[in-house]
Amino acid sequence: MTVDFRRRGILSRRSVLGLLGAAPATAALSAAFPGAFRAEAAGSGQLNVYSWPDYFSTGNLEAYAKKSGVTPNITTYDSNETLFAKLNSPAGAGFDIVIPSSSWIKQLADKGLLEEIDHSKLNLASLDQDLLNRDYDPGNKYSIPKDWGLLGVVYDPEAVGGEIETWEDFFKAGEKPGVSGKVRLSDTGWETIGPELWLQGKDWNTATPDEIKAAGERLKAFAKHVKSFSGLDPNQVANGSIVLAQTNNGTARAAIGLNPKLKWVVPGPFSELWVDNYAIVKNAPNLDQAYDFLAYQLQPEVQLEETQYIGFPAALAGLKEKLPADTKNVDIIFGGKDLDFKKLTSFVVNPETVGTYLQVQAEIQAAAGG
Amino acid sequence: MPAVETIGPRPSGGLSAGGVAPRAADHFIAAVPTLWLAIFFLTPLGFTVVFSFGRSTFGGVELGFTLDNYATALSGFYGVTFVRTVIFAASASALCLAAAYPVAYFIARHTARRRTLAALLILIPYFSSFLIRVMALHMLMSRGGASEIVLNALHLHAGPLDILDTQTAVFIGMVYAYLPIAIVPLFVVLDRIPRPLIEASRDLGASRFKTFLFVTLPLSRPGIATAVLLTAVPMLGEMVIPKLLGGSRGVLMGQAIASQYLQSQNYPLGSAMAVLVLLAVAVIVLALARLTKGFDEVVA
Repeated sequence: MTVDFRRRGILSRRSVLGLLGAAPATAALSAAFPGAFRAEAAGSGQLNVYSWPDYFSTGNLEAYAKKSGVTPNITTYDSNETLFAKLNSPAGAGFDIVIPSSSWIKQLADKGLLEEIDHSKLNLASLDQDLLNRDYDPGNKYSIPKDWGLLGVVYDPEAVGGEIETWEDFFKAGEKPGVSGKVRLSDTGWETIGPELWLQGKDWNTATPDEIKAAGERLKAFAKHVKSFSGLDPNQVANGSIVLAQTNNGTARAAIGLNPKLKWVVPGPFSELWVDNYAIVKNAPNLDQAYDFLAYQLQPEVQLEETQYIGFPAALAGLKEKLPADTKNVDIIFGGKDLDFKKLTSFVVNPETVGTYLQVQAEIQAAAGG
Repeated sequence: MPAVETIGPRPSGGLSAGGVAPRAADHFIAAVPTLWLAIFFLTPLGFTVVFSFGRSTFGGVELGFTLDNYATALSGFYGVTFVRTVIFAASASALCLAAAYPVAYFIARHTARRRTLAALLILIPYFSSFLIRVMALHMLMSRGGASEIVLNALHLHAGPLDILDTQTAVFIGMVYAYLPIAIVPLFVVLDRIPRPLIEASRDLGASRFKTFLFVTLPLSRPGIATAVLLTAVPMLGEMVIPKLLGGSRGVLMGQAIASQYLQSQNYPLGSAMAVLVLLAVAVIVLALARLTKGFDEVVA
């Protein structure tokens, strides 16, 4: 339906992190960044954040309140669509900071709902440069990466009978006896049709409605092998009722934590990178406070704590080395050992095609019968 | 839901029958809910109807008059989805009724002083969150879950039970979730059927079965109608159970409308679909009202 599948499962972003295990080990990290968070910064004494549920470390929020004297008021939404609808209505007035996903930055910015970010007030040097200046927001005019994740595949190599390296392998594997009927696809149109578009050498952001429909035909034919389009419960993969599943790195890591013989791959030729971003709302009433809070959030030790709390990697450079040494399956947190950011693409919602993706997805789900 | 009143049995004392003139206070008391309904129900409904004739501007509506949205909503894929949804709701409601009737009959006829306890046992689960009840079923039906263990122990099933994410699981969930609201109206009606009528039927030589078929069953029609109404209407918009128990395979109207509003930001098409579902509900209500026609005379 409406929400990106990764947020729909039984797991919240926060609880995925259970698997990170280790106690908060906010190691002594140097915070010597010029122009960064100033503890004494005076703002308007208020800050209104509109975000995903449980998407900020409570420890960090308390520390911020202590330092600045301002406790951020956090209101939550459960989908980018809800965020868009609210900011696009009079009810959206009064918010300072929102956390849209990469797919929605352009729509929000085009509607004039986001404030351009004043880069002189923030220092992005500590962030992973692979996550900056990406197609969905060139020059990070409106957004600063908060944390990120991937579309990939978790599978049982024994049931599938080999390794999966490309989306072609994924589709072929799904047809095999023993795998057919135990496949999970995303419920988001661009995540099911995207792989076929990539195999055809097309870009999911520029594909025309006709190209999307044509690529969708393969998925409609494939649908009979699919067991579920609902949010993936890691237990389902761990206990073998699903043996091949499109999912994100967080859920895959949870499943592998339960059953180590499972494998995770980000298939070629391309796959999805989604980034959740800090953004400032147009006409934010507490602009200074918003910048002060962002500067605080971007400090390396705060980012490390955020990663441990929410379970998806913050956009901090060199984060992997900074995590506690006993963190399990640490590679999967970062998408696997050989993740190539050049082979990742972020979806951008486009009014011209989003309806087609949705319609074809509905047809795929209907073709799966039920 | 005013429709329910019109098809339920009239109380025999006749609150409405007296010639007492309504007092000002009565008017006031009636005005509050009327106003509430007008503001929070009719106004949004009015918007929906108006939107359904407009054009979509991604997250907005350009008002006007076009039937395009209805054409889309009834053609091809969405037309099929609409029909499938009606069939789905009708069959789930019928299953629910079939399961509820014997239970209601038993409570009405055979529980005597433990009646309150029986009613409580039916209703208590209904007091907990809908989502939690469905998730509980999810856990029961999942692989390695309690159902698998019990069925294997009873030798009714061998090996892992893969019922989750099937249509069977969806129907089990639908019947389970809606059962209490089907039992209650049936119980009320069955309980009110005067015993002397049953006894008379028996005295005149009808068997138990014939008595049930020609006396009890016809007299319980208002309860059947209410039970169908209370279950079929929400079932037309059901989207949680197919998602959690059915793996979101097959698409129903509820999901289709929600995704038009949210994911596609296409309010006019979503509105047109919603209006069509509303019309389907109106048809159901009319049909059920017909079903109970003549009941008042029978009881009187």
